[in-house]
Amino acid sequence: MKLPFNHIATFCKLLAALALLAACSNSDPGTDEEPFDAQGRGVFILCEGNFNAGNASLSFYAPDTRRVENAVFQRANDRRLGDTGQSISLRGSTAYIAVENSGIIWAIDAQTFRVRGQLVAGQTAHMTNPRYIHFLSDTKAYATDLYAPYITVFNPQTMAYVASISTEQPSAFGYSSTEQMVQYGHEVFTNCWSYSNKLLVVDTRTDALTDSITLTSWQPKSMVLDARGKLWVVTDGGYDTEEDSFGDNIPHLYRIDAATHTVELDQALDTDEGGVQLATNPDATVLYLINNDVYRMDITATHVPVRPFIQAERNSRGLRHKLYGIGVDHRSGEIYVADAVDYSQAGVVRRYTSEGELVDEFRVGINPNGFAFK
Amino acid sequence: MFFISLALSCALAAQDESTMREVSVAAFRRIGDTGLQRTTLDTLVLHQNVALSMSDILTQHSSLFIKSYGRATESTVEFRGTSPSHTQVLWNGMKINSPMLGTVDFSTIPAYFVDEANLLHGASSLTLTGGGLGGAVELATKAASQPGLGFQYIQGIGSYKTFDQFARFTYANERVASSTRVSYATSRNDFRYTNYDKKVDERDADGRIIRSYHPTERNRSGYFHDLHVLQQLTFKQVLGGTLDASAWYTHSLRGLPFLSVDYRDDRDFTNEQGQDAVRSVVDWQRALGSNWALDARAGYAYQSIAYDYSTTRTTADGTQPTANIITASHSYSQQANLHLKADYMPAADWLLSASLDLAYDHVRSHDRSPFHIGDNYNRGRMESALSLAARYRPTRRLSLAAVAREELYARDLVPVIPAFFGEYTLLKGLVFKVSVARNYRYPTMDDLYFRPGGNPDLRPERGFTYDGGLEGSMRRTLFGGRDGSSLSLKANLSAFDSYISDWILWTPNAKGYWQPSNLKKVHNYGTELSLSADSRLPRQWTAALSANYAYTPSINQSEDLDAADTSFGKQLVYVPLHSANLSLRLGWRRWALAYQWYAYSERFTTTSNDVSRITGRLKPYYMSDITLEHRLRLRRLQASVKGVVYNLLGSEYVTVLSRPMAGRHFEVFVEIKL
Repeated sequence: MKLPFNHIATFCKLLAALALLAACSNSDPGTDEEPFDAQGRGVFILCEGNFNAGNASLSFYAPDTRRVENAVFQRANDRRLGDTGQSISLRGSTAYIAVENSGIIWAIDAQTFRVRGQLVAGQTAHMTNPRYIHFLSDTKAYATDLYAPYITVFNPQTMAYVASISTEQPSAFGYSSTEQMVQYGHEVFTNCWSYSNKLLVVDTRTDALTDSITLTSWQPKSMVLDARGKLWVVTDGGYDTEEDSFGDNIPHLYRIDAATHTVELDQALDTDEGGVQLATNPDATVLYLINNDVYRMDITATHVPVRPFIQAERNSRGLRHKLYGIGVDHRSGEIYVADAVDYSQAGVVRRYTSEGELVDEFRVGINPNGFAFK
Repeated sequence: MFFISLALSCALAAQDESTMREVSVAAFRRIGDTGLQRTTLDTLVLHQNVALSMSDILTQHSSLFIKSYGRATESTVEFRGTSPSHTQVLWNGMKINSPMLGTVDFSTIPAYFVDEANLLHGASSLTLTGGGLGGAVELATKAASQPGLGFQYIQGIGSYKTFDQFARFTYANERVASSTRVSYATSRNDFRYTNYDKKVDERDADGRIIRSYHPTERNRSGYFHDLHVLQQLTFKQVLGGTLDASAWYTHSLRGLPFLSVDYRDDRDFTNEQGQDAVRSVVDWQRALGSNWALDARAGYAYQSIAYDYSTTRTTADGTQPTANIITASHSYSQQANLHLKADYMPAADWLLSASLDLAYDHVRSHDRSPFHIGDNYNRGRMESALSLAARYRPTRRLSLAAVAREELYARDLVPVIPAFFGEYTLLKGLVFKVSVARNYRYPTMDDLYFRPGGNPDLRPERGFTYDGGLEGSMRRTLFGGRDGSSLSLKANLSAFDSYISDWILWTPNAKGYWQPSNLKKVHNYGTELSLSADSRLPRQWTAALSANYAYTPSINQSEDLDAADTSFGKQLVYVPLHSANLSLRLGWRRWALAYQWYAYSERFTTTSNDVSRITGRLKPYYMSDITLEHRLRLRRLQASVKGVVYNLLGSEYVTVLSRPMAGRHFEVFVEIKL
């Protein structure tokens, strides 16, 4: 029997010809890096984007000219910010952005928006999903984490990893994620939001956990320190459904003495339809709270006012829109409130005077959730 | 003429019981097709090569939109701009949509395990099942048709350490036919791509950037191991009818690729999905006399899906590895169903049908990570449906059909689902078809019960659709019939208009989880065009062409959430306005050359269709694959060698944000057949 070698040879030649035909490739579609020179006052608005879509973005708003530039990180650096932009913090002329589901903390120049450095999860021992950053000095900062039970210590000047602080707590769920941080003296307080009801206390001199505060309500979401050394904490109350409960779905506002770690005030709030958040005015004497609407209260007050300070918009069916973030300009005292609209389109930021009068309104990226003022 | 042939068929059938059933069923099927908008994919299309899944085949040969997260990762199918859960999928008559999600991952269905596929667009899906607001996909496997023993083995070796193995054993005699198929595919699937979403800065000693470039990265954590075993048995003359039994086992372990914007080291993480599934169907069909046909079918399906996401990092002192389980989500679903159907043809121009479906779904879903408490849910649900249909042919040219369907989910009665179909033969080989239907899709188990987030107050989604179109076919002799030369042409053009309200949409809430609600109202309309030509030419040449095009505006008409909401009147996210494909096949003696081309227009990633945000749109793209095959015959042994170049022009593209797709890659297949 004659084997069909000639056919096989022909087959191989034709296949090679096809491969050759295929040997042309698309060129780099990348865009150039766009120059920026953002001098003077400005507001960074971090837009979280959609989880697992990688479309977090950074907007920059100049209050004096009322001009907004969107997606400045990508335009300045020709790369994406990442997936789920969680928080932005300013230190000197550098903005630090924790991009949770990309496992990275970016350091960018606050004027040119160009990348100065980054800390990625692989450079550290434990960092997984960085959430918030707190600066202890020019050379030392903490980064909290959603999934790793550790706070990462790093040098914000060199973006080098330094150490990890274990935050693991014996709890019913065996887990302690960490979120926002505020400092009082040598102590940094951090709230454990996900499936927890604790605040943890870290001694910054030893970088070790020294205490914890247990709340009566679940999932502490946001935290600020006022001018009198009182810690204000708001929980989202966990959730409560027909067949399952993890909390009671009722947010609580707490006032805690930062020196003694004792809870001085505990007020139940309205059932939450949007995200609860806290902010203070520049001298930390007035508290702003998002609890469906925006409320303003003096730090000496013993309860949240009945009437809202800024009312969230309602549609024709009376459904209140969900406010997604709040920030207060530390110079002017102006209030910026973020509206995520439907969570899947460019969000809106509304700028109000400290008296609650609308000054401006502008579009940013998807799910604006954080502000930093320079 | 038709009635004469039909009557003759029935008379002949009455004389010979063995042929009666086939003839009767053929007659039923003809009148049973009244007004259907149906696309049929035959074995030649389905069995192009053993490495392809049904999502690949549908991408290349249908007007449907396939949303794929990458090679061997989740791929869902959308008809006419609807959502994946609006596509009902049946395998050998049994619905295989996940009772949890309502969708089917078509990347887990090897095309070599399907012998026939029908796509029923819009209202036509109601002749099979309810809830297909977009349409339905009907997949069928067949036992051996050739008498005696048969064996087939295919070995594929491709890029990224991809190995595809497929074996089929067949046996058939006068009473029994058997087919056993096994396929096992493994791949590292770590293709390289230029990551335009990242940029590396090289700095000098002073920290100044001296060079920046987009890095070349690998598709990390994209490996897969898929095993499928399918046994099909057909017994003739069982209680006077035919009994088909089929069982399909799947074991799959797939890494879930990292996003292109993820900076974490994949070696520190386990991010994978494991799946075990068994689907089995026993179907008995019998013709009674010349005008009755009975069908009884029972099915059972079990599926377990495990999604695990964890990290293993060393401790600060580098000695003790610690596992941090982030997600350990496991779900187990069981479905049992019974289907009874009777067709009755009281006269040659009437066909009456009635069917009853009973199904029980049970789902247990939990997450054992410390970030979750308790079961997601542990629920069962009874579903039943009664369908009545009447088809009538008042004149030679005109056929009419009406279907009424009533569905019951637990204690919730879905309103009656009515559908009407008509067709009129304008000319020989040219038929005008219309259909109109109301349809409902009941919420899935996850929609109702998943904790946290499930919403037991959800209403069924409501759909209203009507369509009309022309279907033509012709056959011509070519070159005076030399060497059997001929050309057959088929074309189908349809236009549709659909409205879906109470569309269930999951949106994030303040607690960090997602919740479904009846949020959207959507208007889908457009056209679908398909063409196919098949020719035999002199000197053993053959040529075939098929092309599909769909224009699918899918417009959000939901009430604005607030004054800032600009999504009204905009195209739904990830639904392309235009999609098209073209397939050419040229054969000469034992050689075959096939070329596939398919394209999608831009897709928006935001509900406002805002393209000023860079990530707001995905660019249009087109893809080409090319295949060269040579068949050999060595005495009783048939063999073939096939080479495929996928993504021939090396297109760099994504179909979902941050999910890069593979560039040009290759695979060679060797097949032997006895």
